[in-house]
Amino acid sequence: MQNPPGEEPETSLSVTPPKKWAAGVPAVVHALEYSLEQTSPRKTGVDLLTMNQVGGIDCPGCAWADPAPGRRHRNEYCENGAKHINDEATTRRITADFFREHSVSDLAARSDMWLNQQGRLTEPMFKRPGSDHYEPIGWNDALGVLAQELKGLDSPDEAVFYTSGRASNEAAFVFQLFARALGTNNLPDCSNMCHESSGFALNETLGVGKGTVSLDDLHHADLIFLVGQNPGSNHPRQLSALEEAKRNGGRIVAVNPLPEAGLRRFKNPQKPRGVVGRGTQIADRFLHIKPGGDLALFQALNRLLLEAEDARPGTVLDHDFIDAHTSGFEEFARHARTVDWDDVRAATGLTREEIEKVRDEVLGSERVVVCWAMGITQHKHGVPTIREIVNFLMLRGNLGRAGTGVCPVRGHSNVQGDRTMGIWEQMPDSFLDALQEEFGFDPPRPHGLDSVKSIKAMLEGRVKVFLALAGNFVRAAPDSDVTEKAMPSCRLTAHISTKLNRSHTVCGDTALILPTLGRTERDVQADGEQFVTVENSMSEVHTSQGRLEPASRMLLSEVAILCRLARLSVDGVGDIPWAKFEGDYGTIRDSISRIVPGFHDFNARVTRPGGFQLPNPVNEGVFRTETGKARFTCNDPVVPRAPEGHLLLQTLRSHDQWNTVPYTNNDRYRGIHGSRHVVLVNPADLSALGLAQGDRVDLVSVWEDGTERRAENFEVVPYPAAKGSAAAYYPETNVLVPLDSVADMSNQPTSKGLVVRLEPVGDRVRDVRTTGAGRPR
Amino acid sequence: MAHEEDDGRTGGDGVVRRRPLRERHVEETVEIAVPVRTAYNQWTQFKTFPRFSAVVQGVEQVRPTVTAWTIGYGPLRHRFSVEILEQDPDAYLAWRGLEQHPTHEGEVEFRPTESGGTAITVRMFLRPPGPAKALIRSSRVTELTARLVRGELVRFQHFIEGLGQEGGAWRGTIRNGRVQHDTPEPPRSRVAQWPVG
Repeated sequence: MQNPPGEEPETSLSVTPPKKWAAGVPAVVHALEYSLEQTSPRKTGVDLLTMNQVGGIDCPGCAWADPAPGRRHRNEYCENGAKHINDEATTRRITADFFREHSVSDLAARSDMWLNQQGRLTEPMFKRPGSDHYEPIGWNDALGVLAQELKGLDSPDEAVFYTSGRASNEAAFVFQLFARALGTNNLPDCSNMCHESSGFALNETLGVGKGTVSLDDLHHADLIFLVGQNPGSNHPRQLSALEEAKRNGGRIVAVNPLPEAGLRRFKNPQKPRGVVGRGTQIADRFLHIKPGGDLALFQALNRLLLEAEDARPGTVLDHDFIDAHTSGFEEFARHARTVDWDDVRAATGLTREEIEKVRDEVLGSERVVVCWAMGITQHKHGVPTIREIVNFLMLRGNLGRAGTGVCPVRGHSNVQGDRTMGIWEQMPDSFLDALQEEFGFDPPRPHGLDSVKSIKAMLEGRVKVFLALAGNFVRAAPDSDVTEKAMPSCRLTAHISTKLNRSHTVCGDTALILPTLGRTERDVQADGEQFVTVENSMSEVHTSQGRLEPASRMLLSEVAILCRLARLSVDGVGDIPWAKFEGDYGTIRDSISRIVPGFHDFNARVTRPGGFQLPNPVNEGVFRTETGKARFTCNDPVVPRAPEGHLLLQTLRSHDQWNTVPYTNNDRYRGIHGSRHVVLVNPADLSALGLAQGDRVDLVSVWEDGTERRAENFEVVPYPAAKGSAAAYYPETNVLVPLDSVADMSNQPTSKGLVVRLEPVGDRVRDVRTTGAGRPR
Repeated sequence: MAHEEDDGRTGGDGVVRRRPLRERHVEETVEIAVPVRTAYNQWTQFKTFPRFSAVVQGVEQVRPTVTAWTIGYGPLRHRFSVEILEQDPDAYLAWRGLEQHPTHEGEVEFRPTESGGTAITVRMFLRPPGPAKALIRSSRVTELTARLVRGELVRFQHFIEGLGQEGGAWRGTIRNGRVQHDTPEPPRSRVAQWPVG
C-alpha cells in the first residue's frame, strides 16, 4: 500500500501506437498493481474472490450481468472492476486533520485524481456558512442541520435529491420515499446523463424502457452489433460474452468513430488462448462511422432490407411478426424508401458498399442483437437513432425470440435498479398510488426536476438544498462552469459519499459531507448483518454483501443515514417505519414487493442463488405501448455537420477511469500516457487545420447561445478517429457541453457531436515522446 | 430416418400450426394414466425434470421460450440451451438447440386416449457436430438414443402418475419462437413500465 500523493503528480505526455487488443496478461498486472497500491494483499484477495459471486459483492464498476450460478469463474471480474473495488477498499483515510490542513479553496484547486487518491472519508464534516474549512460534526448534529434546513423551506420543491447509480435498491427506495414524503418529485439521477434516451425510445416503441436480452441471447446470436460503445474499457466483462458468441459461430459488426482495442481482439486472461495465444477477434466488420451518423446508418440498412424484400418477396421481412405485433409499418416503409444516399454518405462517412455488406450479414442471420451505449444516447438525435434501431430489428422479427433483442449497455452498477425503485422525477400515478396505499400519505403529483432542469433552477435561485446520494454531480453534469456557478447558489449542499470529490469543494455556503459504507464493507444493523440488492443491465435482481470491516467505526450505511434524516425531517408524514427500515432492510424489501411490479416475494426470491430475473413484457409477447403493439416510427434524417475549420467532438472515458474518477493519467489502449489534456484528431484533419502532434490548443465549442465555452491547453494527438471528428476526455471537457444542448425528447445532455474548433495557444511542446513504431497513425 | 408427411397440424380451433420438425431419428410414445391437461402442465415445469430424469441434472428457465439444460452421467456434465419454437397448451411443443446449427430438434405431442389418459409422443432429430456426425448414421446409436428417450418417458410416466396432479403449469402459446398472449396483460408482464435512463 502506498501513501496518498501529497502534491499533484507531475507527468508529461507520451504517446504510443493504439493497442490492437484488449485485456490479456497486462490487464491482470495493472489490476493487481493498482489494487496493491491501494490496499493490502489480504483485502485485495477477499474483495476479488467474492466479487460477482453468489453471496458476495456486486462489482460497482458496471451493470453487466453475471453468468448463472455454477457457471461463474473463480475470478469473475475485470481489470477495471478490480481497480474500482480496491479503490473503495483502500486503506488510505481522510480524517479531520486533513480538512484542517486543506481549505475548501485549496481542495477546489485539486484534480479529480488527487482528490480521489486521498482515501476514504471517515467522519461527518461540516462547513459553516462563510467558512473555508470543513470541520468535524457529530451525526446527530449533521443530520439535524440538514433536517432543519429542509423543514424551513418555503416549498419542498426548493430541495433537490440526486442519486448516483451506485446506490442499492434499498437505499434508492428509501431516498425517493423520503423526497416524496417531504413533498417533492425533484429526483434527478445519473440516468439523466447516460441512458435517458434509451429509456425514452424503448418505452415509446416497445412499451418497456429496458433492454430485452439475457446473456444466453448474446451467446447464441448470429449477429451482434456493437454501436457507440467501448466494451474494452467500459464493460470489459461483456468481452467474455462476445467471445462466447464468436465461439458459437456468431459474427460481430462494430460501429464506432474510434477503432477501440476492445472492438478488435480480446485476450481472455482466464483462458490459455488469451494468455499465450492470439485471443479472439471481436469485430468481423468495423464501420468507422462519423459521430452521430448511426441514425443514417440504420435508416440506410432499413431501406436496403425493404429493397431486398422487393427483390425477393416473402424472404426478407418477418411478415408474421410485423402483421401480428407491430403498428405503423406502411408509413415507416414509405418513409424509409426516401432515404437519400448522399445524406447517408455525408452523415456516416461510409460508402454504400460498406453498408450493403452489413445488409448481407443481416440477411444471413436469423438472430440479431443490437448493443449500444453513450455513443448513441448522448447525441441530440439519440432518441430517433434508438427508434430506428428498433425499426431495424422489427423488420426481421428480431425481438422476443431467443438470440435477439435490444441491449442498452449501462455503465453504473445499479443505475437500472434505482430507476425501477422510483428514482425518477416523472413517476406514473400507478406507482405514487401504491406508495400512498402502503404508507398512508399523498405523494406529490406534479413532475419534478431532472439534472439539467435542476441546474437551471439553481441558477434561478429556486433550489435551496441539494442532497446527493453518492456520485459527483458537479463533475458529471454538463457545462461545468455553469454547473459550478449554480451549485454554490444553494444554501446547503450535502453529499452521502465514500470518497472525496469535487462536488464537496464546489458547494453551498453551508455544506455537509456524510461518509458512508461502501459495497465492500459489512453492514450490521439492529437486526443483524444486512445485504442489499441491485438490478443489472439484463434485469436480474440479486444480492450484494460486503465482507470487509468498515473504513471507520463512524460510518453509517446509506439506508441508515436516510432513515435517520427522515425521522428528523418528515416523522409523522404517513405511516412510514423509518426505524424498522434502518434496522432490517428486509422490511424495505417487503414494502417494495407490494409497490413495484415484478418484485413479489422479493425477500424470498432474491436470496436464491443468483437472485431472480424480472420478466420483460416484450419477451412475453406484450407491447405496452399506446397502440398495444410494437411501434414502427418515422425519423427525420440527421446529417451532423461542422462548419469549415471545425470538428465534431465526442467526450469519452480513458481506460484508467471510472465515471468521473481517473485512477491515473494513462489510457493505455489508446496509447496515451501521462496526461488527460489531449485531443485525439484524425491526421488528415490536423493537416487541414495546420496543426501537428504536440501543438497546444484550446477546445472551443460553438453553440447557438453565442457563449464561448473553452477547455484550455490541450495537446494535439494524431489518432485514427473518423475524419471530421475529435475525441477528448470527460469530465475535463464537460465545460464544452452547453446546458441547453440536450437530446430531443429525453433532455439528456449531448456530450457527443459537439461542434468545436481548436485554437492554438502558442508554444509548441517539444518534449512529446513517441515510442514503439514511432508516431501514431 | 423417418420423414414427416406434412408440416402443419390442425388444432381444435381449426388453425393449421407450424410443425417445424421435418425429419426424425427417434419416435417414442408412452401412455400415461392422467388427463392430458395434467400431463401437459407437468411437462411445462422443466425445472422439475431432474426429479425423475436419469440424465437431466438441472434446468434453468431463462424465459418461457429459453431453457438451459445440464445433462450428465456420473462426473460428466454437458450444458446446452434450448429454444421452444412452437407450443400449444395440452397439445404440442417443438424445440431446437440454441446453436447456430442446432445439434438437435424435437417435438412432443400430447393426445387424449380413449381411457381418459394421455399418449405422449417424443420425436427427435439429431445433428451432432464433428466426428459424432458419423455415429448418428449408425442404427445402433439411434436405437440407443430411442431407448434412452423411452426410458425418460417411462420415468416421467411414473413420476406424474405417482404424484397424481401437476405441480404447476405454463399455459401460454408460442409461435415461431415468440410468446403469444391471449389476455391484455399476462401476470408475468406486470413489471415496472416507466423508462429507465
